[in-house]
Amino acid sequence: MKTDLAIIGQGAVTPAGVGLDALLRGSPTETMVPLVSRPDQQWPVFKVNLKDPSLERWQKEPRLRRASPITYFLVEAAEQALAGLDASARAQTGLVVAFSTGCLAYSRRFFESIVTQGQKSASPALFPETVFNSPVSHVAATLRLEGAAYALAGDETAWIAALRTAWLWLEQGRCKQVLVMGAEEFDSASLDAYQNAGWLRNREAADRFIPAEGAAGILVRKAGPEDSTVLSQIADGFIFRSKPQALAAGQRCLSEFDPKTACYLSAQHHWLKDIEQILLRDRQTKESAIYLGEASTASAAWNTLRACSLLDSENAPILFPVWGSTHQIGALALERTGWSSN
Amino acid sequence: MKRKVVVTGMGAVTPLGENVSETWKALIAGKDAEAPLELFETKGCRCHRAATAALPALPDLRPKELQRLSRASRLAIPAVREALAMARLLDSSGRSLVPILPFSVSTTAGGMGFGEEFLRDILAHKRSRLLGPVARYLSEQQVLDVQIALGFEGPSLIVANACASGANAIGHAAEMVASGMADCVLTGGFEALTELVYVGFDCLQATTTERCRPFDLKRSGLLLGEGAAFFVVETPENAERRGVQPICRLSGYGHRTDFFHLTQPQPQGQVLVDVMREAANSAGVSPGDIGYVNAHGTATPVNDGAEAQSYWTFFESSLDQTRISSTKAAIGHTLGAAGSVEALFALQALITGELPPQLNLQSPIPEVAPVLVAEKEAPRALRHAMSVNLGFGGSNAALIFSRNEN
Repeated sequence: MKTDLAIIGQGAVTPAGVGLDALLRGSPTETMVPLVSRPDQQWPVFKVNLKDPSLERWQKEPRLRRASPITYFLVEAAEQALAGLDASARAQTGLVVAFSTGCLAYSRRFFESIVTQGQKSASPALFPETVFNSPVSHVAATLRLEGAAYALAGDETAWIAALRTAWLWLEQGRCKQVLVMGAEEFDSASLDAYQNAGWLRNREAADRFIPAEGAAGILVRKAGPEDSTVLSQIADGFIFRSKPQALAAGQRCLSEFDPKTACYLSAQHHWLKDIEQILLRDRQTKESAIYLGEASTASAAWNTLRACSLLDSENAPILFPVWGSTHQIGALALERTGWSSN
Repeated sequence: MKRKVVVTGMGAVTPLGENVSETWKALIAGKDAEAPLELFETKGCRCHRAATAALPALPDLRPKELQRLSRASRLAIPAVREALAMARLLDSSGRSLVPILPFSVSTTAGGMGFGEEFLRDILAHKRSRLLGPVARYLSEQQVLDVQIALGFEGPSLIVANACASGANAIGHAAEMVASGMADCVLTGGFEALTELVYVGFDCLQATTTERCRPFDLKRSGLLLGEGAAFFVVETPENAERRGVQPICRLSGYGHRTDFFHLTQPQPQGQVLVDVMREAANSAGVSPGDIGYVNAHGTATPVNDGAEAQSYWTFFESSLDQTRISSTKAAIGHTLGAAGSVEALFALQALITGELPPQLNLQSPIPEVAPVLVAEKEAPRALRHAMSVNLGFGGSNAALIFSRNEN
């Protein structure tokens, strides 16, 4: 699907720090975290520093005092992406956020209290913050984004569904611009899930899978002559449940795009690494030098911003295949407008 | 370009029945599905009752595959199948006739029952056979279960806007068709009762230990339920190509976020008024044209007062021309499925003229007392019907269905 979405704002919160510079050049630090099921076994994780002043300031907001870490990641990345937008423009801004596990830390805490201390101990303060759209509501209310607002769930490709949603809202005239975001928070329960899936093998290997957390967002509008960075095409919905099916899904997805476009690599540490290698072996590829870890929809958003940054140096369009971990494969194409044809 | 959007198929599994006709018959007869909850232990809860759905048989699935399905998928698959069959989108073996079918779906908890099983096991330091449940708990897995069971793929969107999600998913599907993004979309929502969510509402004291009494001055809380409802929405031309007669039009959609509070609506219900106005404007109708409203009506003290106020404001002098009921007293609050199941009831009211009664009323809220549907009320000809939902986080949404001739 051709999209013609101009990217007019960007924001990121990563384990390497807060802001675009950290996203592009920062280096995350490992934290060793034990499995819930085997406290003697620890695995490296890339966590966001919640004590970063950029994040701490949101923790003082009255509405956000009880919020889950994912809310702080989101609201900070959103504020960066909205920089320069005045109150009246914000009132015409939509918000769509893609999540995989959403408010996982509070959900786990809430359920753990039920299991360990009984149903009577369940916290009424915690439960509303476990809901997927609570962080979306917090961001919209805090930054006064009065356009449409959706929380979307899914694997990494929910990021593409969010972009598709933004396109639809702009087409329908629901908003003047849309803030599209991806966000995840880490909880040690997910470490157990990854370990059970076999994704945490090769603890010392260069291509090891490291769970991460954070958020990123892009502010988009329908592209006009003054816009330079454009998300020009998206495709998704190529489903799989097994690796062979993922290979076939990836083939169907990539056939939607110009085969000469350089591809941005993102699965070097992912369980679909082999699929990426097979499908892109005859293509020109680009990648980022620094690994930020795996944070599902947040990673999809980070990688979109990183692919965007390569447009300047490459002077050619870039295709970013989004390898969904558990459902489907999608891709998006980015380009700069106004390139000379020679 | 805005194209017309029609509904050509619908399907449901609810606590009142395994399909649309069973559910509707029971609903119109004034039955309710409230019963002791037996899916999980509720010893430490204030409440112990819910509206549970019977899981329809899925004879075409192998036992091993059936075992891997979450309760949510067991609710969703038969409802989708019924909707696709009605829209004549299934072949003789029960598989989708179209390989690519965009899917706009809603849920709040997905396959959370599997997630709970996994958490319980790792907290108990259990070390083996954990992958099965955790691999199937995320909501995209229920979408994938449906896609694989029915044999289609394509872009999918899972809206998780709490209890307004179902209306959002359907409204979004309508906008996809209206904008030309898709000619035909499968849409709806599903929700299975789970302990985490049940205990969550219980600890908020949002559930009732008495009868669920929407729009009653003595209301004391909600009844939780579960279910699934799905629709096929498409352009009339697309339906005509298959020789399918549209059931009705999906003519209006409005949605907005109420910033007032994470779990409480603005007391005057102003955001809901704005949302209903947006839906009415997009449908090209005035409030007085809307003959029936399937209200959100959770029966919580905070929700129903604000919602009643918003109907008073929205309908103004034409309030007496409409009829209103909340069906949550009959099937419970189905959360991520509520917007879909209740949209189905609004649609059924539109096409049959029968109105779901407002159950358990003793002392109705004065603002809406005259317009709440009485038991065994005579059918009436409707031209437009509306379904309204509100959710945590301040999600508000409204859908309007219109008869084809309009």
